[in-house]
Amino acid sequence: MKLTSNKTFKTFTDPLWQNNPISIQVLGICSALAVTVQLNTAVVMALALTFVISFSNLTVSILRNSIPSNVRIIFELSIISTLVIIADQVLQAFLYDISRQLSVFVGLIITNCIVMGRAETFAMSNPPLRSFADGLGNGLGYGGVLVLVAFFRELLGSGKLFGFDIIPQAFYTAGYENMGFMLLAPAAFIIIGLLVWLQKTIMDK
Amino acid sequence: MSDHRKSFVAVGILCVVCSLLITAASNGLRGYQLRNMNLDRQKNLLRSVGLIDDQRKYLADEIESLYRNNIRSFYVDSDGRIIEVSGQTAGRLPIYLYMHEDEIIAYIVPIDARGLWGRINGYLAIDSDGTTITGFTVYKHQETPGLGGEIERRWFQKNFEGKKIVDQEGSFVSVGIARGLVEDRVPEERQIHYVDGISGATLTGRYLEASLKDILMEYEPVSVRFRKQMPLEPVD
Amino acid sequence: MENLISIFINSVFVGNILLAYFLGMCSFLAVSNNMETSIGLGFAVIFVLGITAPVNWMVNHYLLAPGALAWAGLPEMDLSFLKFITFIAVIAAMVQAVEIVIDRFSQPLYNSLGVFLPLIAVNCAILGTVLFMVEREYNFIESVVFGIGSGVGWMLAIVSMAAIRLKLRYADVPVGLRGFGITMIATGLMAMAFMLFSGITLGS
Repeated sequence: MKLTSNKTFKTFTDPLWQNNPISIQVLGICSALAVTVQLNTAVVMALALTFVISFSNLTVSILRNSIPSNVRIIFELSIISTLVIIADQVLQAFLYDISRQLSVFVGLIITNCIVMGRAETFAMSNPPLRSFADGLGNGLGYGGVLVLVAFFRELLGSGKLFGFDIIPQAFYTAGYENMGFMLLAPAAFIIIGLLVWLQKTIMDK
Repeated sequence: MSDHRKSFVAVGILCVVCSLLITAASNGLRGYQLRNMNLDRQKNLLRSVGLIDDQRKYLADEIESLYRNNIRSFYVDSDGRIIEVSGQTAGRLPIYLYMHEDEIIAYIVPIDARGLWGRINGYLAIDSDGTTITGFTVYKHQETPGLGGEIERRWFQKNFEGKKIVDQEGSFVSVGIARGLVEDRVPEERQIHYVDGISGATLTGRYLEASLKDILMEYEPVSVRFRKQMPLEPVD
Repeated sequence: MENLISIFINSVFVGNILLAYFLGMCSFLAVSNNMETSIGLGFAVIFVLGITAPVNWMVNHYLLAPGALAWAGLPEMDLSFLKFITFIAVIAAMVQAVEIVIDRFSQPLYNSLGVFLPLIAVNCAILGTVLFMVEREYNFIESVVFGIGSGVGWMLAIVSMAAIRLKLRYADVPVGLRGFGITMIATGLMAMAFMLFSGITLGS
């Protein structure tokens, strides 16, 4: 069977563009805005979320026939919370500086609509491998948007990428100034709005 | 088994499994986390006396050995004398000494100040003359990026270097944060006691200035000892 | 007292939980095209926050924080790594209670809120407010004021957005921007406007 027509592969690639969790499904906006001031926090957040959503989808899918229906939200929340706490503990142990910058936002992965949404709508009714692929795809689709927004915000707002100076000193002496506005909250909203406009216009063609 | 009982059992098992996993992760990683927190504190202390360059990346071992060789941690009582840690807890102030061989180069005061949005934490290093600030760092705050958040930037902190907390008559005046540029707002003879403010962050500056004054006031007994070249020897 | 007023004003305007910290966006986006639902949801969020903030404060203070269990003879215990899961459990329980209360006292509101009521439990604004409260080490009264203030700020944002979206219906928005896109840009402009409040000083 060709890889690209494999159903699991399609489940994985779908949320990367066509059904992107942020721009198309309109989920998981909260953290997408707050952590995109710098690229390194955006990348770590994306990886943490991808970890949580893939494994929560996997776990929920494996248990899907054993979970009593009336407590399934509790199950989903508990599984997600446990995974998030583990991710948070690992971050504090091995990437301390970044964990401090992410502060409450790692904990907020619990309430991230993407994670709950996919667990409820996909993992509860699909086999484990496919659920894992769906989680992976959504996580990376989310990550892609985060990295794109962070790219613009960090580059235009502080002249750096991943903390490394990109804009040459010559520009600054010639009068170029960092667009400080990019580092503030409103800029994130506007950039996402513009990116969605771009994506929808491309998709329509 | 009835539906209700099945639910209870299922949730019960869920609780146990989750708790075990979380506790395992937390306990297993505790060692690493504590080391990170210590390293962070040490790095901030070293930054406040200029032993660490912000642009370089340091290995954990480098930081630990720099700290071990240069910084000693003590508590002082209300007279400014070093006390044994196991002694009384009331009236005890933490202090760090930047020492080379047996000579004290500077003393570092931990700053826990009120900010606009939460606490501002940092370290203020004062020269052994008890008067001149040699460094100021902020490592934790909740201020708005671009506004109050500028307190974590190098330009703001560097301005503190060389400022004096005591005026020419010898009275304690602390260090102030001007509303704007010092050279525009402050009379020349007082400029040595002020740093430039942050535009758009008047409140942060005001709160920080007030807290610094209160904290430095608490440490005046220590500062006076340094000014008068009196030793900080331990109480017998 | 001045401190409490300051916390309240800050959490409603400058540190608006939605416009400055981006929390609570999902339900905000879904519901803000209907004015009545927005108002109803706003009140529900204020109510839930006003209760869960102090309750979670107590849970944190007496159970989870390092040294919190001293009253039970366990001063060495530090259960703060459990805070995420405990807070979310308390929030879910509180939301369930609020749902029962609304169902009892106002059927029309219950019907119009529909599925959004249980969704308050996973509204990041709720968990976010609780986590900020813990991080900023507020005391009990401050946590009540902060909780209510955050709720009021969130409601202010969602109701304002509902009003703006009403007007947008008559605007000629480019196809790609319709719906989500233009809402994001409008929210960004609103966030900019709210930043103006940071110039306000209170008292001396």
